[in-house]
Amino acid sequence: MSTPLSQSIDGIALQGAGFDIVGKSILSNLTLTLSEQRIGIIGRNGSGKSSFLRLVAGLVAPSHGTVLVDGLKPATDRKAMLSRIGILFQNPDHQIIFPTVTEELAFGLRQKGMDKAEAAQAVVALLAQHGRSHWAAQAVTALSQGQRHFLCLLAVLAMEPGTILLDEPFAGLDLPTQNRLTRALAALPQRLILITHDPKAIAGYDRVIWLEDGRVRADGAAGPIIADFTAEMARLGEADADTDLTF
Amino acid sequence: MLTLTSPFETPLHRVAAGRKLLGLAVLSIGLFALQDPWTFFLVGGLVATVYLACGLGFARFGAAMLRPLWPFLVILGLWHGWTGAWAVGLMIGGKMLVAVALANLVTMTTRLEDMIDVVERAASPLARFGLQPKMLAVAIALVIRFTPVLMDKAGQLGQAWRARSARRVNWRIVLPISLMALDDAERVAEAIRARGGI
Amino acid sequence: MTPSVWPRLYGREVGYNEGGTQLMEKNVTYIALFAALIAVLGLVPQISLASGVPITAQSLGVMLCGTVLGAKRGFLAALLFVGLVALGLPLLSGGRGGLGVFASPTVGFVIGFPIAAFVAGFIVEKTRAAIGVAAFGGALIGGVLVLYLFGITGMALILGKSWVAASLLVTAYIPGDLIKAGMAGFITQGLAKLRPDAVLSRP
Repeated sequence: MSTPLSQSIDGIALQGAGFDIVGKSILSNLTLTLSEQRIGIIGRNGSGKSSFLRLVAGLVAPSHGTVLVDGLKPATDRKAMLSRIGILFQNPDHQIIFPTVTEELAFGLRQKGMDKAEAAQAVVALLAQHGRSHWAAQAVTALSQGQRHFLCLLAVLAMEPGTILLDEPFAGLDLPTQNRLTRALAALPQRLILITHDPKAIAGYDRVIWLEDGRVRADGAAGPIIADFTAEMARLGEADADTDLTF
Repeated sequence: MLTLTSPFETPLHRVAAGRKLLGLAVLSIGLFALQDPWTFFLVGGLVATVYLACGLGFARFGAAMLRPLWPFLVILGLWHGWTGAWAVGLMIGGKMLVAVALANLVTMTTRLEDMIDVVERAASPLARFGLQPKMLAVAIALVIRFTPVLMDKAGQLGQAWRARSARRVNWRIVLPISLMALDDAERVAEAIRARGGI
Repeated sequence: MTPSVWPRLYGREVGYNEGGTQLMEKNVTYIALFAALIAVLGLVPQISLASGVPITAQSLGVMLCGTVLGAKRGFLAALLFVGLVALGLPLLSGGRGGLGVFASPTVGFVIGFPIAAFVAGFIVEKTRAAIGVAAFGGALIGGVLVLYLFGITGMALILGKSWVAASLLVTAYIPGDLIKAGMAGFITQGLAKLRPDAVLSRP
């Protein structure tokens, strides 16, 4: 029934994976193999989507079960993960570390072992590739919100990962910026795993996973799952606000 | 982030940072030991000349940087005027001005990156005690990056306050500002870890 | 190996602090962000501490470095701040900075920042009193007593006055700073309630 996990070499595999905080179960019993090119994750707030992403990225270790990326444990094999997984959080201000564009982009490259000169060259090439050579000396504070989003994406792309995880990247962006980001993402050769509240963003995706209360409620083709999800969300919205205190 | 390096280019900008710092240390010690008022006036005059030689805009900026000292000059003036020891007072005040002006000269003619390089080189022996140069570089970058971010957020908090209170913003706002510092630290640590850690 | 002061599982903030982030990254970010906090508290003009009197909140930031982060990290945060001032950033209240600061009469206060933070943190770490009281005590002894010790000494040296004479110059500021120590107590207590795991002086 279950093939030894180490044999599924390429891709992301979870086997009975769970994640708890102080005894409270955030994610439980997830057994998935993520190999499609475009995967969407949907679910209500608090369903465990962000924790799921962090589990795959190796930012947290599973409390139960195993998580493997290309046969390696992401939480322990951090260096190996640099070229396999990139992650983009919701708020650019939470993930831009350096005050200038060049420093920010060079950081990841230095992490991969490049020296100062090589990294500088690679940054110039990367900016040119995306038509943003004039950003090189810019201070981050001078960039608009959408531009900072793009900078975060560039920083991830600079690492050339095989898979990019995105945690609600469209949140708070105006429509033109959303469209630009959608186009930019669509053009990426990497595998994308995207958490979003916007069903339209993942309409054409290969696979959609609906998480609820830390478990998989639905998993499969985008169309039907999104339809069900939208209907369920509408139904919940019709009912009055939930006043139950769950903590 | 804006630094105190002068945008007006001067010949001093091209001198190596380490050399300027060494020169400053030597001159400062010499200045401190100086007793003869005439030598002192000479030194003071030289410093002023260097400032002016670097350009009028530069000199004006340099003078502005000396402005915070004026209350102390007033205090010295009152003190020594009252006791009648004018000469001593002038020497103390003068030495203070010249010492600060000399130090500011180095600050105004040295770029931040060059200063950071000097610090990193000087701190390299500390690597044995666990201070990796990467940590220092990231720490410095984080402060420069997040001071404006925190200031913006503090401004927004101030607005949120004034939107709901007729009273002026008071010290209690320091709590949510500190909270933001803590939360940002948590998230940035995660972001760094996501990109390979330090 | 020193025992970890970063508990792997976090408390009441379910879903926020997901455990496991490494020691080293957190050390660096906490220290850096609090150095930035000292800068912000010096640069933001609108904070008036006592009814109407605008006093700089910068030394409050120094106190908090110690009372919240503990002695070692608080020391490093304040040291990082002072280091950046020396490197030429205008982070001192009033937008002052650069090497000139270290030749001016306030040099003692600036150099005293890291030691004040250390003492404040040390007291909070070693006392068994409630966090608010301990923080007030730490802020008082570290952020006022020790800081003024350094500050007055520095002023005496630069202005060529006796220690006693120099202390007269700063007496006007002492009541305000005593109140600030009280504020540090309240704020540290508040932070301990909201983010118990982030207040490292009491892990």
